[in-house]
Amino acid sequence: MKIERNEITQKISAMKAQGYSYLIKITAVDYEKYIEIVYMLRNMEQNKDETLEVDVDPSDAWIPTVIDQFDAADWYERELFEMFGVQVKGRHVERLLLEKWDGKPAPLRKNFVWNGPYETGS
Amino acid sequence: MVTRINIGPVHPSTHGVLRLVADIDGDTVVNLEPHIGFLHRGVEKLVETRMYMQNPPYMEKLDYVAPMSYDEAYVATVEKAMGVEVKERAQWVRTILLELQRIASHLLWLGTMANDVGQFFTVFMWTFTDRDRILRLLEEASGARMFYVNMRIGGLIRDLPPGFDERAREVLSYIEKKMKKYEDFLEKDPLFTERMKGVGVLSRERAIALGVTGPVLRASGINYDVRKDNPYYVYDKLGFQTQVRSDGDCFARYKVRMLEMTESIRLVRAALDKIPEGDALGMPVKLILPSAKNRMVTLSRELPRGECLMYMVADSQRPYRLSIRSPTFINLAALKEMSRGCKTADIFAISGSLDLIMGDVDR
Repeated sequence: MKIERNEITQKISAMKAQGYSYLIKITAVDYEKYIEIVYMLRNMEQNKDETLEVDVDPSDAWIPTVIDQFDAADWYERELFEMFGVQVKGRHVERLLLEKWDGKPAPLRKNFVWNGPYETGS
Repeated sequence: MVTRINIGPVHPSTHGVLRLVADIDGDTVVNLEPHIGFLHRGVEKLVETRMYMQNPPYMEKLDYVAPMSYDEAYVATVEKAMGVEVKERAQWVRTILLELQRIASHLLWLGTMANDVGQFFTVFMWTFTDRDRILRLLEEASGARMFYVNMRIGGLIRDLPPGFDERAREVLSYIEKKMKKYEDFLEKDPLFTERMKGVGVLSRERAIALGVTGPVLRASGINYDVRKDNPYYVYDKLGFQTQVRSDGDCFARYKVRMLEMTESIRLVRAALDKIPEGDALGMPVKLILPSAKNRMVTLSRELPRGECLMYMVADSQRPYRLSIRSPTFINLAALKEMSRGCKTADIFAISGSLDLIMGDVDR
């Protein structure tokens, strides 16, 4: 289901009220023109999975946090920030979780070239 | 007064390179921060640069205790993207191999778990030798002892060798006998039970909120198993039953895994009874010209450590993006909450009961 960035918090809360109480994963795909953030939720009672997709602009990539709704979002949002450079607004993060890489671009963006200048230093 | 102690990253009880920073007050843990990323190899980026069938070896190195399971999860994702049916016999063979792999993985966990709570190396030596018997079976089936790479699109690289049936049954009844010995040995031992019972309790509500998965979820009383709720291959034909415990402590997680091993033994036997004749071979790698039928693919698999979800955006030659939801990553995120208020020595009882593999956590 495609949604807009400003409805994330409201939609996620609504889904949770409908019984989608288990967060499977938050991930992202870089389509170069836009970054798609993917929320995967599960309804344990009815055994149904639902996916929410949000497109954000790569140069202005941020999303609101959903940590108030799902505690499981904690590490996924931090991973999202480190791997895709997507800022997560509304929460405080003390340190980097996975990589000790603070340069740009973020590793899983498509403009980060494999074996390119960022790794070889040339 | 709160003292901060550092554990790891290289420590015999962390099962890999995991650093834990614990704030303790007396002997009670006030806060615990897991620091991960020491084994981060960028697999998700790496697979974007390789052709589809060049990737299974990388997938296997994610979880090096149960490589077959990850191999299968990846190949099944590619099959789903290409729209390929797996051959009938290959489905049965894959089920047998996956369940054998699960027993091998749980056996290694049992040994290290006993190590973590002070049963030094007695159980570990037993389970390690037993695990080797299963690895020998898997070697017969695939040609390699640890990193198998025997899944191919639509089937396997080779069929089961002649005589596999009898040898597998022999190993299974041997392991069944040994399982009884382990249970007697551990559950009658107060050293083991007192370190496990009531430690690291995770309630039903918190287990769902924290998103834990696999045996950890089932030990907290939630009856969810991909093999039952979203069955793949022949699990629904084998009468698979989930193993659930409601206590949510370390002992419940131990018990769930022990029962799962018994269930896996039963599944392998049932599959060996019913396996049909036929062709199980997959396509040779060189003949594959992948063209994605389904661009976006999600696929769930129940690995020994929990549910793995592969989210793949397929391209014509190579994956455009492969996002791996690794089970231990989210289980480790729950360690902070589970260990709050416990004793310092119990940190390892809890982290041991989560069955962490750092290659899987960091990816």
